[in-house]
Amino acid sequence: MDENIIELTNEVFMESFELEEEKLEPEADIFADLGLDSLDVVDLIVALQEKFSVTLRDDERIKEISTLEDLYRFIEHLKTETLT
Amino acid sequence: MNRVVITGTGAVTGMGNGVDALMEGIENRRCATLRMPGWEKYKGLRSLVGVPVELPSARHIPRKVRRSMGRLSLLAVFAAEEALLSAGIDRTELASDRYGCVVGSTMGGAEALNDTFETMLPDHDLSKLSAMKFFQTIPHTAAMNIAQFLGLQGIVMATAAACASSLQAVGTGFDLIRSGRQSVMLCGGAEELHPTVTGSFDILFASSASFNEDPQRTPRPFDTERDGIVCGEGAGILVLEEYEHAKRRGAPVLAEITGYHTCGSGAHVSQADRSSMVRCMNSALSQAGVHACDIDLVNAHATATRHGDAQEAKAVASVLGPDVPVHSLKGYIGHTLGASGAVELAAVLEMMKRETVYPTLNLEKVDEDCRGVHHVRETINKKLNTILKNCFAFGGINASLVVRKLTTGEK
Repeated sequence: MDENIIELTNEVFMESFELEEEKLEPEADIFADLGLDSLDVVDLIVALQEKFSVTLRDDERIKEISTLEDLYRFIEHLKTETLT
Repeated sequence: MNRVVITGTGAVTGMGNGVDALMEGIENRRCATLRMPGWEKYKGLRSLVGVPVELPSARHIPRKVRRSMGRLSLLAVFAAEEALLSAGIDRTELASDRYGCVVGSTMGGAEALNDTFETMLPDHDLSKLSAMKFFQTIPHTAAMNIAQFLGLQGIVMATAAACASSLQAVGTGFDLIRSGRQSVMLCGGAEELHPTVTGSFDILFASSASFNEDPQRTPRPFDTERDGIVCGEGAGILVLEEYEHAKRRGAPVLAEITGYHTCGSGAHVSQADRSSMVRCMNSALSQAGVHACDIDLVNAHATATRHGDAQEAKAVASVLGPDVPVHSLKGYIGHTLGASGAVELAAVLEMMKRETVYPTLNLEKVDEDCRGVHHVRETINKKLNTILKNCFAFGGINASLVVRKLTTGEK
């Protein structure tokens, strides 16, 4: 896993949702553990798009993400897709 | 019909956070108008003055509640917190369908709306928009956010009648409690200071533009040199309560609302209309069952526009004659637009308690057009048993409210 992706993703959670770094464990569930809801997800997408210069909003695969690790892997995959 | 009393007040203004800060500024005859840094960049904006609020920290509000609050809602929430505290109402009592709020504004969330357009328009791209901008922008943003923050489950409404919004909110709360539909209502309004807000008045040549280099000399209600509105930021919230409810819990009763009326001029969207002002004041007085001789003070709308002040002075003179003291508070805190009715009512209730009337600031020479009433030029010490509060708004919307001090036996 690209450490830079983890770091930048965690930055989004700290900046946008005021979460403390120690709570950002890879296995943390974005909803149950980190407390985000459907409105936060809209802002999460906006912030991730800005942070990684990718397009996420209409990607159906987002619905399958539940943990932070899922999100890191999804972004890594998306970056690879963008490059190829 | 139930009797309705005011048991708490909260205000955030250019004087600071709280009614005490507002009164301290008024007592010291401080004009809070400032030259607004950076406003020079707006082409065509003539008025470079305003009365901003230094927003207190909002970190005590949980993120999920705070995220939908733009500047407007934060102002309103701070005023609501103070109003509840002064009414002695515990937050745990609020989760009831007998507790609600009516909170208005002129412009809604101006800063959030501007941010939305600035984000969306350069590339005509909606994908960068936060989910929260909608909730921070909408006309009922302040009412909605107060209700969510406090857990109110009763009637939640937003009035939208420009500068009469918060007096309409108080009037609506009065009607809802009087008719028995609610027991306690938080009523008032909020407004942000933003170039788009001042600009809305400036393009109509309704804002003050001659005192950019000498900001504390404006606005000048009823004065010969008055040249228009100075937009002010702020929020005012009053706790309205059914009299017996207040009495049962030993609440601090500030005054009773005895009369209220609101009406359209049916004449012009921006030109103040004297005959409808007269009609509005007379209807409020009639509902209160009082006559001109019973009114101890008129807290005027008087924003310092050339036409509006003259029309209001003539209207007040024809309803109440030349002897009833009349003052405007705009010279201290600017025109807080949709918040002005409630902010100024909070201040006059304090004056009622102190038995002191503070003068119209920046009124140095009464204009020929504004004569015929007793302008308060110096601090007066007198008992204030009954006060008339006016708000006359763009759109030809008038609102007048009568409050009376309770006798010792009634408290």
